[in-house]
Amino acid sequence: MDKLKFENHIASVFDEELEEIRNDLMAMGGQVEQQLTDAVQAICEADSQLAEQVIQRDHRVDEMELEIDEACVLVIARRQPAASDLRLVVAVTRAVADLERIGDEAKKIAKHALELTESGPSPMGYSEVRHLAQSVSQILRNALDSFARFDADTALATMQEDKKIDMEYKTALRELVTYMMEDPRSISRVINILWVVRSLERIGDHAKNLCEQVVFVVKGKDIRHRNGQ
Amino acid sequence: MANDNERPIPGASVGEQFQDNARMSMRNVNIFYGEKQAIFDVSLDIGQNQVMAMIGPSGCGKSTFLRSLNRMNDTIEGCRVEGQIAMDGQNLYDEKLDVVELRARVGMVFQKPNPFPKSIYDNVAYGPKIHGLAESRVDLDEMVESSLRKASLWNEVKDRLHQPGTGLSGGQQQRLCIARAIAVNPEVILMDEPCSALDPIATAKIEELIEELSENFTIAIVTHSMQQAARVSHRTAYFHLGRLIEVNPTEQVFTMPEHELTEGYITGRFG
Amino acid sequence: MTESNPSPHRSAPVDHSATIKASLKRRYRAERRFRWYGRAAIAFGLAAVLVLFVDIISKGHGAFKTTHIAVPIHYDLDSLGIDSINDNQQLALANWDALFKSGMRQLLPEASGRSQRRELYRLISNGAGYDLKDRLQANPQLVGQRERIWLLADDDIDTYFKSLRDGEPYTARVSDQQIAWIDQLYASGDIATRWNRNFFTRGDSREPEQAGIWGAVMGSLFTLVITFALSFPIGVAAAIYLEEFAPRNRFTDFIEININNLAAVPSIIFGLLGLAIFINFFQVPRSIPLLGGLVLTLMTLPTIIITSRAAIKAVPPSIREAALGMGASKHQMVLHHVLPLAMPGMLTGAIIGMAQALGETAPLLMIGMVAFIVDIPGGFSDPATVLPVQIFLWADSPERAFVEKTSAAIMVLLAFLIAMNTTAVWIRKRLERRW
Repeated sequence: MDKLKFENHIASVFDEELEEIRNDLMAMGGQVEQQLTDAVQAICEADSQLAEQVIQRDHRVDEMELEIDEACVLVIARRQPAASDLRLVVAVTRAVADLERIGDEAKKIAKHALELTESGPSPMGYSEVRHLAQSVSQILRNALDSFARFDADTALATMQEDKKIDMEYKTALRELVTYMMEDPRSISRVINILWVVRSLERIGDHAKNLCEQVVFVVKGKDIRHRNGQ
Repeated sequence: MANDNERPIPGASVGEQFQDNARMSMRNVNIFYGEKQAIFDVSLDIGQNQVMAMIGPSGCGKSTFLRSLNRMNDTIEGCRVEGQIAMDGQNLYDEKLDVVELRARVGMVFQKPNPFPKSIYDNVAYGPKIHGLAESRVDLDEMVESSLRKASLWNEVKDRLHQPGTGLSGGQQQRLCIARAIAVNPEVILMDEPCSALDPIATAKIEELIEELSENFTIAIVTHSMQQAARVSHRTAYFHLGRLIEVNPTEQVFTMPEHELTEGYITGRFG
Repeated sequence: MTESNPSPHRSAPVDHSATIKASLKRRYRAERRFRWYGRAAIAFGLAAVLVLFVDIISKGHGAFKTTHIAVPIHYDLDSLGIDSINDNQQLALANWDALFKSGMRQLLPEASGRSQRRELYRLISNGAGYDLKDRLQANPQLVGQRERIWLLADDDIDTYFKSLRDGEPYTARVSDQQIAWIDQLYASGDIATRWNRNFFTRGDSREPEQAGIWGAVMGSLFTLVITFALSFPIGVAAAIYLEEFAPRNRFTDFIEININNLAAVPSIIFGLLGLAIFINFFQVPRSIPLLGGLVLTLMTLPTIIITSRAAIKAVPPSIREAALGMGASKHQMVLHHVLPLAMPGMLTGAIIGMAQALGETAPLLMIGMVAFIVDIPGGFSDPATVLPVQIFLWADSPERAFVEKTSAAIMVLLAFLIAMNTTAVWIRKRLERRW
């Protein structure tokens, strides 16, 4: 099966419902992506106002999660989806959970951004954050793209990217530890950065989970908790 | 995007057609009604104590195929079966095989509950009587009771065994028909859309019953309800325009069907 | 992803209610009109039946009563001209008429002269002597006794006496002298209409006052017994074979067409057939119920076969499938399931066939069942006639008294028919089972 189709149901309303769920998921993905970008920008530019905005907008992400989940439950109850439809709906419910967690991580980053701006401007560790954030954003964008196009190959490739993030994360950790050893006064600051880096790494993991769901939808195989392949 | 209709239907079926513990095995079965061919080259095994569901759009030949398993098609003029249908290694269409004996070994339950217009007792006792299975009245009573118990009907009818079977509710009538079929202790039970005339509660009871019966019997069931196939069967066969498209374990068919026609049918975008 | 299907065409709802409302009136009016047509048809049918019944009953009810004259009788062996009533030969030769003749003279002593006396005796039915003979034979102790006994009046007297009540006395066949005597008897209470037992107990007769319907009733009964006993089993067997066992091919199609055609053949043809085959070839004696039954069987068979086949076809296929699915053989399926379920329908067919046979005249005319038969048939091989033929015979007779007899016979025929149908409906109700 090379191409998945979610239209041409005999009940055209079913088509519309699935389409809506997918659109909502993409909208939520876009929202989460924006949250991440803004949170990182808030840190790098010490923009406390932007950080506040990110924190406030998080409840919107939570709402979207609830809405999409409910839509999925309704589809299951009303349409008893089977095969690819069933896999799509299940994958979406799992994906929204991951997206919501990404949103939470972005909110955490924004909180740390607030603390960092309060303790005064200092470029220490920002390059690591910026660097990692770039990779993570990319991976999240790729994951969402593969979801939008049900492209299992992109998804699998993106999952490999996550390994790179783990490497970068470890490098960043080492760098931050070095900063702390060099200048013990900066420890509280660097710990904030450390939390931010940690959140970025978690976001990478969630993006990887999204890719796993894409593979589940397309190939019908659940590759969670399986290394390799 | 090409339309499903335009794609040629492959000659060979996909999936696990064959079983190690086959109770009935069909090989290259072709069925004709006069000049018209209804079933094309179907090969399939039904395993011991298995519930095999046959699904497919109307006119796909699943009922025809099912009815060929106990030669009910014999009653239709001009119906011809080619290929091999064997039970325990014996060809059902062998000249020497007696069709009456075969039907005692392969029971059948029909779409519409069709109890005889006789008492509940006489309905169940009919099979043992005509086949001479009961040696005495006591024997017969026992057979009737155990069959009704197996069909989960005993408690509902034990006080009115001698009232007409047609006075029961639809679901009870269908269970009575199942009791009647199992009274002669067949090896295989064929069910032709047994719940299509029943309400959901009666349907649930029949499905529950099928689950229990599968401990002792091998069951082949034709159904229009995909959910029903998903609920009761171990394996599912999908028929399309007289061909067996796919047969696989039920959980696979309903989550990850191999063939796109199967996928189209069970997701409701058949076209 | 391509864009999803264009959504189904949804036009803005148009308000049709005004149009619909306007057409409603017309539609209801059409329905009412249609209902009235139906009622009118039924009313017409009922009226026809009513007219028929009123006409027949008003004409025929008189036949159930007949005029009697009370005559004093002296059972005197001398006037009979015999010396013992135990000698059958003497009894047969005895002058029985002398008994009522002397009684009449006693009743109306003013009659004198041969011609007057002959007119006097003609007041009494010429069968009265035989009635007296039967009475004396049954009650030998009456010898030498006297009694006043109601004797049957002659049919002309009967017709005249009954017509008196209508205000337009029918005097064509009675003399003025007789009219005077009747007035005299009426004044003394010696003439009256009494229950006509003879009508229900006797066979046919040339004398209307002595003619009875019982011979024809028994003839019909015996004929129908034969017809039913032959046509029902044969018809049902044929229907079952054709419906359940016969292969569908040209030959069976041919048979089917022929059966349908036979049902439409005029019944007199069956009479000719009976004449040619049963009488000329098999030498069956004519005029007997057995022969009549055979001919009517030929006539009824197609009806029974056709209705039985329809009844068998009406048995739901699900029942057959159930039986076959249980491993019943074909004949078990037919015997255990199809036949019991089809039986009510088959019986309906048999009723229709029997009703036809009961009312049939034409074929029986061809095989001699139109003969004048006085004796009441006691079996299948006694010469007999049947009800419709009897009606035909009476309707053909010139005596005026037969007019009411004819109507009365029609009433008996209808009663016979109703009784037969009631029995059949009752049997069918008992057999009927729902599925």
